[in-house]
Amino acid sequence: MTSETSQGQLSSAASSEVIIEITKMNKWYGSFHVLKDINLTVHKGERIVICGPSGSGKSTLIRCVNALEEHQEGEINVDGIILGKNLKNLDHIRTEVGMVFQNFNLFPHLTILENLTLGPIWVRKIGKAEAIETAMYYLEKVKIPEQADKFPGQMSGGQQQRVAIARSLCMSPKIMLFDEPTSALDPEMIKEVLDVMVDLADTGMTMIVVTHEMGFARTIADEVIFMDEGDIVERNKPEAFFSNPEHERTQKFLSQIL
Amino acid sequence: MAIVTGQKTPDRIPPVSERSIIGWMHKNLCSSVFNSILTIVMLYIIYLTLSGVYIWGFADATFVADNRRECFDNSLEGACWAGVLAWTDNIMYGRFPREEIWRINLGGLLLVLWMAPLWMARVKGKIFIGITVVMLYPFLAGYLFSGGDKGWFMQIMVTGAIVALIANVVNMIAGLTKEQSLVQFLLGLVGQSNASDKAQRNTILGFLAAALVAVFIWQSSWNMVEVGWTKWGGLFLTLVISGVGIAASMPLGIVLALGRRSKLAVVKVLSTSFIEVFRSVPLITVLFMATTMFPLFMPDGFVLNKLVQVIIAVILFNACYMAENVRAGLQAIPKGQFEGAHTIGLGYWGTMGLIVMPQALKHMIPNIVGNFIGLLKDTTLVSIIGLFDILTMLRSISKDVPWIGLHKEPLVYGAILFFIICFSMSKYSRHLEAKLSTDNKS
Repeated sequence: MTSETSQGQLSSAASSEVIIEITKMNKWYGSFHVLKDINLTVHKGERIVICGPSGSGKSTLIRCVNALEEHQEGEINVDGIILGKNLKNLDHIRTEVGMVFQNFNLFPHLTILENLTLGPIWVRKIGKAEAIETAMYYLEKVKIPEQADKFPGQMSGGQQQRVAIARSLCMSPKIMLFDEPTSALDPEMIKEVLDVMVDLADTGMTMIVVTHEMGFARTIADEVIFMDEGDIVERNKPEAFFSNPEHERTQKFLSQIL
Repeated sequence: MAIVTGQKTPDRIPPVSERSIIGWMHKNLCSSVFNSILTIVMLYIIYLTLSGVYIWGFADATFVADNRRECFDNSLEGACWAGVLAWTDNIMYGRFPREEIWRINLGGLLLVLWMAPLWMARVKGKIFIGITVVMLYPFLAGYLFSGGDKGWFMQIMVTGAIVALIANVVNMIAGLTKEQSLVQFLLGLVGQSNASDKAQRNTILGFLAAALVAVFIWQSSWNMVEVGWTKWGGLFLTLVISGVGIAASMPLGIVLALGRRSKLAVVKVLSTSFIEVFRSVPLITVLFMATTMFPLFMPDGFVLNKLVQVIIAVILFNACYMAENVRAGLQAIPKGQFEGAHTIGLGYWGTMGLIVMPQALKHMIPNIVGNFIGLLKDTTLVSIIGLFDILTMLRSISKDVPWIGLHKEPLVYGAILFFIICFSMSKYSRHLEAKLSTDNKS
């Protein structure tokens, strides 16, 4: 792929503590069976990349972890909280789990700084001055502190996506989910976003990333998951996954995109 | 392939047709012989119309006369503005007692004074201003306009309104001169700017209590002559009905729109049926229902004043249209905005209040203001059910003995008045749109 990051493989920060545990989870959209008997364990600090053809259910899977989608069967346990009908739990989960979308989903009527401080001020009830300080810290991290007073519509896609990452980080989440963060970007902007994500991975954040950037996957992933038609087909260390895919569906997929 | 251009090509200025008025005229008015002829014909038609209006309205018009006879003596062709001018007070204030008209003017002036800080960049606390003007001003204005004995409730509300008004004015002055908020200014006044939070709060509460007590004692000593609502009229009445209608139908419309999109079945069905019923009935029917049918269903002795009934009818009617406007705005907000709000942990009200509504309302400004303009014009319908609004007053001129038969001029005058008000509203909405726009503009 074009945007190979220069760093080599990052060292793993995974601990033995389990932070996400999904058991026998099933989800349907109407009569369409999107996710089939999903079992997945993620440890704290672990970085997982999910890939697979479109429609394979990878986005739906991470959206279920964030309770943006409701699953019908099985259990999802995120940091000790069981996701279900309990609305209190849902609100709590969303503050613990950050999410970055393909289309950024920044709030166009607010400045960058307001985008970043909204959650801390209204949800975490942090004082305004402190929230601004945190926001500027993370804008520094994603390398665009000078854009704080602009509106999202005045920035490039790559900058918007970095703001979106910073916005999630301002809520100090325990887990970060990325739903194809670079798919809507022009090629020359993909690298700046991936670099920010590599930096984030370096800090030991638990990350689940849905992406087609295989070079990036190689760099940061502790494990790569391949999904197809609602199944988790293969899960492996990146070297093994890319050099020696076991399942024939994985081989076919990799031969198409690499 | 070989190199096509060795150097960068420098920018050149555009051709004449793009940058001068002559060029523009040539391109847009006289691009061919046929178009040139069309332009000349159109100019002639415009000249005929405008000159006719000018001769009727200005050149041959009579501005000073005691009755219509004198107008005719002056000119048979021209307009007789003297009749309209003689009736100015009636057109503006209806049958409001002449010696009490200052109360209406004062009410209008106070509203302007109250709202003016909203447009001043240096003044802080705009939300406080906005809330007090909607919550408290109506009571103060209501008492100013109608007068009479104040019940204990009215006394409290009037006191609150006056204190809020004073606070607003002090806030405005502090903002304009020192760029401070009211609270900072008051604390600075007594040298407590650096005191602890609790001490500061107590000081402010002390100020508030002192002001409330002082104003309460002061206001209980004055009373104004009662002016019954039947005496209200003219442009004043039109503005009261439409102003209250606008201010109240907006929040009600938002609630109805949210209700219609609610996941709770009962709320949804109730909101939807309310909207659909009121929307499928003409306003005039709603007005008749409110004033003639509604009292029949009420127990004996239950008398609600007709003006209140009319205002409630206008509010309910307009809230339904507003609800549909707001709903259209809500539907234009992409799903990603809801998801973005959810991922930073905002709940339903946070998402709606902070993320969705501000964007939806911004998109809907043209429609909402269009709705307001429609409401303002629709209020003239109350003339049919016997309120003396501006239209009734304008038409009464022709029945006044000195000006008998004077139909045209009052209606033209009314049209001009309405045009000025509506056009300013629409201009202001354009200005708001431009100001609130956060898109990338070059």
